[in-house]
Amino acid sequence: MRYLVLSLMMIVSLPSFAAAGYQEDFAREFLSKTWMGERIEENACIDCHSSEQMKPSFRDIPDEWKKSWHAQNNISCNDCHGGDPKDPSVSMTHQRGFVGAPAPRQIPEFCGKCHIGILKNYLESGHGKALRSTGKGPHCVVCHGSHNIQRANIEIINEQRCTKCHSYERAKVMKQALFLVEKKAGEIEDGIKALRRAGIYPAEQERALFNTEVEFRTLFHTVDVSLVNERTDEFTRKLGAIEKDIQDTFIELRSRRNFSAFLMMLFIGMGITIYLLHQTKDK
Amino acid sequence: MWERLNNWLEVRIGVDDLIRSQVTEYRVPKNINIFYTFGFVAAVGYLIQVLSGIMLLIYYVPHPDHAFRSVQDIMLKVPYGWLFRQMHVMGSNLMIAAIGLHMLTVFAMGNYKRPRELTWVGGALLFSVTIAFGFSGYLLPWTQLSYWATTVVTSIPTAVPVVGDFVARVLRGGEQVTGATLSRFFAFHVSILPPLFLLLAGFHLFLVKRIGISATPFGLPAEEKRPWTEYHKKSHVDGYPYYPRFFQMDMLMVMVYLAVMFFLITFLPNIFFPADATIPADPFKTPVSVRPEWYLLAQYQLLKIIPNKFFGIIIQLVLFTLFLLWPFFDTEKEKNIMKRPMLRVLFLFAFILWVILMFWGRS
Repeated sequence: MRYLVLSLMMIVSLPSFAAAGYQEDFAREFLSKTWMGERIEENACIDCHSSEQMKPSFRDIPDEWKKSWHAQNNISCNDCHGGDPKDPSVSMTHQRGFVGAPAPRQIPEFCGKCHIGILKNYLESGHGKALRSTGKGPHCVVCHGSHNIQRANIEIINEQRCTKCHSYERAKVMKQALFLVEKKAGEIEDGIKALRRAGIYPAEQERALFNTEVEFRTLFHTVDVSLVNERTDEFTRKLGAIEKDIQDTFIELRSRRNFSAFLMMLFIGMGITIYLLHQTKDK
Repeated sequence: MWERLNNWLEVRIGVDDLIRSQVTEYRVPKNINIFYTFGFVAAVGYLIQVLSGIMLLIYYVPHPDHAFRSVQDIMLKVPYGWLFRQMHVMGSNLMIAAIGLHMLTVFAMGNYKRPRELTWVGGALLFSVTIAFGFSGYLLPWTQLSYWATTVVTSIPTAVPVVGDFVARVLRGGEQVTGATLSRFFAFHVSILPPLFLLLAGFHLFLVKRIGISATPFGLPAEEKRPWTEYHKKSHVDGYPYYPRFFQMDMLMVMVYLAVMFFLITFLPNIFFPADATIPADPFKTPVSVRPEWYLLAQYQLLKIIPNKFFGIIIQLVLFTLFLLWPFFDTEKEKNIMKRPMLRVLFLFAFILWVILMFWGRS
């Protein structure tokens, strides 16, 4: 009987030899392909801009974008420039909402489609007013770049950049205020990372940090030194509350660990008692 | 009060007789060893899973928009929710380890042999159901890790010609892993697998009681090798009573099980929660490495290294059939593995291969 079953199993497995090479694509990609990688591969903007036919100055754009903070957050070409990345034949038509590269004067509105709060503060600032009246004031791209846009950091404010138009004094004061808040925010970010490593998903703390940072950076675009100085304490307090929340979570994790260790000791103790009881009975 | 209640039950269902026949006068072989306790440990493990699972069920929401959040709330907001979740997660892995050890020792002592072939089959099915518990429960927190591990595993049937795509669609409830998959896995985890497990456990225990506990082949003479022509219960009249001697051994191992569980919760709380297990599922972002839990790593690696996937699946099915029906293939009367060099080599080879594949799959 067992030989019959073994033979049947052999016979059943034979078609698999016959089917060698079956679904070659599947065999090649199986268990290793990135299932959603097609999302980028299907992007007509990237295909064209990476091709040899593209003007050399436009050819680096996809690589720059891939390194950007936007790419890391799934913000693709069409999210800013409109158009249809799925269909190369109509991808750059106005019917599909393509707007192309904006003129310097239009850049704030272009970025402000998403960064609404920042746009409002910027337009009311000296920078915004200068751009509107002369068309030559500093706009988003001057400080943040265009395609390889990185996460905003304190180094954006520097003497070399600011002194192109005015003295560095006011910018220096603002940078100092920013430094304190950014330092605190950096510490909180480290705390959030540590919470993640401890198996906690700190969604509330992350959201609170994100909102506070956004609010502070939005305020920053007013380039109003007295207002920034006035409100820095408020943001430091907000960040302090988030920091305390993270510390409380760590205290909670420590108490959990102690409780769990107590239960472990309890069961070890009970195990030893049972073992001794068992040995006594044997004697 | 207690005495009255005892009397009330005694005259109706004969509690004293039940305890006498099933516990104090129930005899186990004299040379029984500590390895015989793994079955009891696994049963207690299942009980812990049921109790902690019920606690999780109160707060868990099986919907893609809420599953991850609800699990995080269990970990952070529900009083002692973290403890029940940790016990459930650690318990699921330890229970698989306990059943695995139980089967390993039964194999090494040849206790699957006549007349206990069906007991082995029942145990092997219980082991498979326990792994199905682990696999279906893996998706429920709806994390990056669970989402993509399920995507990979539910892709496996698509390598089978003709019916493969259909099977994958049935598993997922569509073309991709979605809310429909979550609903299916949740229903499977909490309402299909538990009664199936109890049914198989009942069958397994019935056979253990009906046939009697097998004596170890080491030290004392092995069981009789006469031709098996009629039912014969092994009652071990010269053995020890189950209570208190063997019951103490059972309880000692349960304490070891619980101590290991709380050791892991205390010192290695994230051993089963890598970084991707704390990120909500994102169908548009494939993690760098996708891999299943440790108990499926060897099978996963075997599938990865065989170029033809259909052949890989057939190999897995053949191996599973061999595992499930092993007592019918190994009909040699000798129980003692030390007297069977070929089987010993085969056993060691299979075990070492499994360990290598597991670590290979992990790297």
